[in-house]
Amino acid sequence: MNAFEYFAPTTLKEAIDILNEKGEEASILNGGTDLIVRMRDGISDPKYVVDIKKIKGMDDIRIENGRVFIGASALLNDLGNNQDIQKRYPFLSKAALSIGSKQVRNRATCIGNICNASPLAGMATPLLALNATVHVFGNYGEKDILLKDFFVFVRKTLLKHGEIVTGISFEEQACLGVFTKISRRRKVDLSTVCSTVVKKYDEYRISFGAVAPTPVRLNKTEAFLKGKMLSKDIIEKACELAMSEVSPISDIRASESYRRELVQVMLRNSLSQWY
Amino acid sequence: MKYVGKSIKRVDGIKKVTGSLKYVDDMKFSRMLYAAVKRSPYAHARIVSINIEKAMAVKGVKDIITGDHYKKRAGLYLEDKNFLAVGKARYKGEAVAAVAAVSEDIAKEAVKLIEVEYEELTAVTNAIEAMKPGAPLVHPDLGEYKTAPIFFPKPGTNISNHYPLRKGDVENAFEEAEVVIDNKFYVPHVHHVTIETHTAVAQMDLDGSCTVWASCQSPFAVRQALSEAFDIPLNKMRVLSPAVGGGFGSKAGTTLEGIIIPLAKRNPGRPIKLTYSREDEFENTYVRQGMHATIKTAVNKNGKIIGLKNEFVWDGGAYNEYGVNIAKAAGYACAGPYDIDNIWTDSYCVYTNHPVGGPYRGFGMSELQFGIEQNLDIVAEKIGISPIEIRLINGLKPGGATATGEIVKISGLMECIEQVVEDINFEEKTESSKPNKVRGKGIACGWKAPSMPNNAASSAIIKLNEDGTAHLLVSVQDIGQGSDTVMTQIAAEMLSISPEKITIKTGDTDHTPYEWQTVASRMTYSTGRAVVEACKDVIDQLLELSQIKLGLYKRDLELRDGYVVSKIYPDRKVAIGDLALGLTFEDGSGIHGPIIGRGSFIPPNIRDADKKTGLGEHPVAYWTYGAQGVEVEVDLDTGQTKVLKVASCFDVGKVMNPQLLEAQVEGAIVQGMGTALFEELILKDGVLLNPSFVDYKIPTADDMPEMVIKFVENPEENGPYGARGVAEVAMVPSAPAIANAIYDATGIRLRTIPLTAERIFEKMKVLKRGRRGSCKNN
Repeated sequence: MNAFEYFAPTTLKEAIDILNEKGEEASILNGGTDLIVRMRDGISDPKYVVDIKKIKGMDDIRIENGRVFIGASALLNDLGNNQDIQKRYPFLSKAALSIGSKQVRNRATCIGNICNASPLAGMATPLLALNATVHVFGNYGEKDILLKDFFVFVRKTLLKHGEIVTGISFEEQACLGVFTKISRRRKVDLSTVCSTVVKKYDEYRISFGAVAPTPVRLNKTEAFLKGKMLSKDIIEKACELAMSEVSPISDIRASESYRRELVQVMLRNSLSQWY
Repeated sequence: MKYVGKSIKRVDGIKKVTGSLKYVDDMKFSRMLYAAVKRSPYAHARIVSINIEKAMAVKGVKDIITGDHYKKRAGLYLEDKNFLAVGKARYKGEAVAAVAAVSEDIAKEAVKLIEVEYEELTAVTNAIEAMKPGAPLVHPDLGEYKTAPIFFPKPGTNISNHYPLRKGDVENAFEEAEVVIDNKFYVPHVHHVTIETHTAVAQMDLDGSCTVWASCQSPFAVRQALSEAFDIPLNKMRVLSPAVGGGFGSKAGTTLEGIIIPLAKRNPGRPIKLTYSREDEFENTYVRQGMHATIKTAVNKNGKIIGLKNEFVWDGGAYNEYGVNIAKAAGYACAGPYDIDNIWTDSYCVYTNHPVGGPYRGFGMSELQFGIEQNLDIVAEKIGISPIEIRLINGLKPGGATATGEIVKISGLMECIEQVVEDINFEEKTESSKPNKVRGKGIACGWKAPSMPNNAASSAIIKLNEDGTAHLLVSVQDIGQGSDTVMTQIAAEMLSISPEKITIKTGDTDHTPYEWQTVASRMTYSTGRAVVEACKDVIDQLLELSQIKLGLYKRDLELRDGYVVSKIYPDRKVAIGDLALGLTFEDGSGIHGPIIGRGSFIPPNIRDADKKTGLGEHPVAYWTYGAQGVEVEVDLDTGQTKVLKVASCFDVGKVMNPQLLEAQVEGAIVQGMGTALFEELILKDGVLLNPSFVDYKIPTADDMPEMVIKFVENPEENGPYGARGVAEVAMVPSAPAIANAIYDATGIRLRTIPLTAERIFEKMKVLKRGRRGSCKNN
């Protein structure tokens, strides 16, 4: 790891100013569980590191005005163990607690996981299925980006240099959901494939990770299921459609074909809970 | 007995639990330099040139060496390696240059600036292909290498050792057999994954003495190897191993010490430190060798195996200095713990451009038994008997003969099989409560002998203190297996003083007595016996002095709770502390002086096997036998396997410390389970694709099965209190038992490990079976 200059601003404005002043050689440090590893491996080599954890009010998890808000510095363990989240959105809590180890989750943040934009990001599928919105702060002030538009490619988002994600939120909703993670080892492993299926009345929202360059919603499968009563036949048809809708790759963790097969297994098992 | 056989708490426990124990990487010295290593990016390449100019110019860099600075070859059994590549690099990651600098960061920065020009050569990445005529040679100069006389390299090929075993009339057995079955198995390279990475510090003084602090299992073997490699006499070469955070064989030989000694030689007075990263561990230390096994079995319908034809091809990687002995060990163990009259085996160690193979818990037995135990199940099914029956029919019993023709004196194998069959409830099939999950049970046996030179020696010294306490000096290294505690227990029992009164000192070739190596599951047996002998020496001296002091005949005296006591008049006694510095008379004069006990041990009468036939009456110290039964649950949707329960039973001769022994076996089972389900060094064209914990998975707490751990105690003739070793063999049956259980559950037999979810899933698809059908006909 090379030497770098460390900044710990206490306001968003201050943070933005540093990022803008230092330019592309500055990196945002949140939990650090991705950035520090990349720096050690020589993949990232920032000259300036801007720690946003000291900015006040960024580690909130709150439900107000009909929205659930997760602050940028909220830790995965805090999110996973939050009682309101556990009660109302247990699949979101389960996803948070499925990432890394307990020690890693004591540093890692939900927003960091989203901004890292890994195709298999553990927090992406539940938040995609909840139609979440990403809140961004820049020198222009605040703006919102729908999470489904936020991911652009592997490790690429719409976020520009000089912008900071302050949090993510979604509308309070009565829904059922299932989070599933298949990994080589059950604990402390990356997803081979992960998914969330949310049911709100007769509407289904289906998202998968590690089956495309970004975490994705399966729009065609969702459209097929919309308004339908679940039956064995319908579920099988949905599974077939889902398999055709994903585009996984082969790597050392799994083959393209196994990932594709897992998509239908995971979707079938998720939907079968309501059948 | 008061201390032996009891669950005495670990004597090294408090320091380890509180973190106060100092490991080598904790050591800091004034004027210390830090080393970093430039490594080959190619699996096989000629080194055209190395330019160190830019690197030398970095401020804080003190020295840089390349293979040209030290060309003498080294190696434990076959001198085939250089610590820094000379002429060509033979695996991806091989050290080609090393930097010494005032900080680790500077050293690493300088490494980046070393410019190496390579001419890439065709890499040899398959051991079977490597054996064929015309294959590119990894070591064209093999014929010139010095080798121990019990190993047989074939110059002009990639074969570094061939161990043949020829017993009985195999052709006739196969002609007469009612059933003949052919099977192939493959075990990939895996890694030890010790919690502490390799680390060493070396310092050369101007008087020519060299001191090495290393996290190593075998200070004396390291001293010997380094002394020879660097022409330093043994009295000037000191190796200290203050603490070892796990070994499993990976710290048995020399690895990184040889990189820093040349730097230390050029920078006298300055300690040079090198600590490996986790990535270094995976790529640049020993790995468990890959192995291709062909097993052909001649069997009669009554279940009796009458003939065996085996070929084992070991993928030894770039240097086979240690691996040649693994091929040998597999050669003489080639039938497993089974009594078979006619055997033809060829075991080959083969050079490839893969990471360097070396010792790993089991020393070949896990790889061997993975095939043997699955083969047995396949044979049993073919002739229509149960996995238990075939093992009971063919398993080695007292009076039977091993593959080398040695007549078995002691074997608790049958008792072990019966115990695990009962504990795993083998005959009763259980069902999962989930419709998409199936359960199955499997059994496998294991055996192992210490793989060591016939004359591998141990010694111990006991110094009695004037307050009745004692120091025990040995050089077995406690690498987690608990040797410090067991050696202390033996001394406590022999001397009849409590373990708290004994302080054990290990790991300093200048101050602790000779020990061949901490390997081969031989420490309790061999060092333990040396401790017994040292205690006898102390006792003899104490009784000599006591008979003068007490006026009672030696024969009638014994040690009891810190005193020499008369067996006839128990009130007549003398505290051993009062005799520690010799016997003092009433006039103040004294005799004898301090009591120091000395004990040495070499296992008696181990003799070389015949070079042509591999047969021998007593080629090893002893065999340890045992069995494990496993229950698994397989998810038919995903192929994922969960090991639910493992029942284990080994004949250990004598349980020295129940708690430590159970822990030892638990660890072994989990390590075996890791290799069965997750672990594999994924190599492509000689490049390791998963050199970190991100993609090399070992079991976590979540994966722990229920474990039922039992022992049988048929005493070993020469072991202390009848004990024999079990540390390695305890993991040997785990992987094949899991493979057999998965077959029982699903009808799927993969013949390779790891048995990953994806592999099981793919096989399920290929077999196109219904969700709950059966396909047990392979």
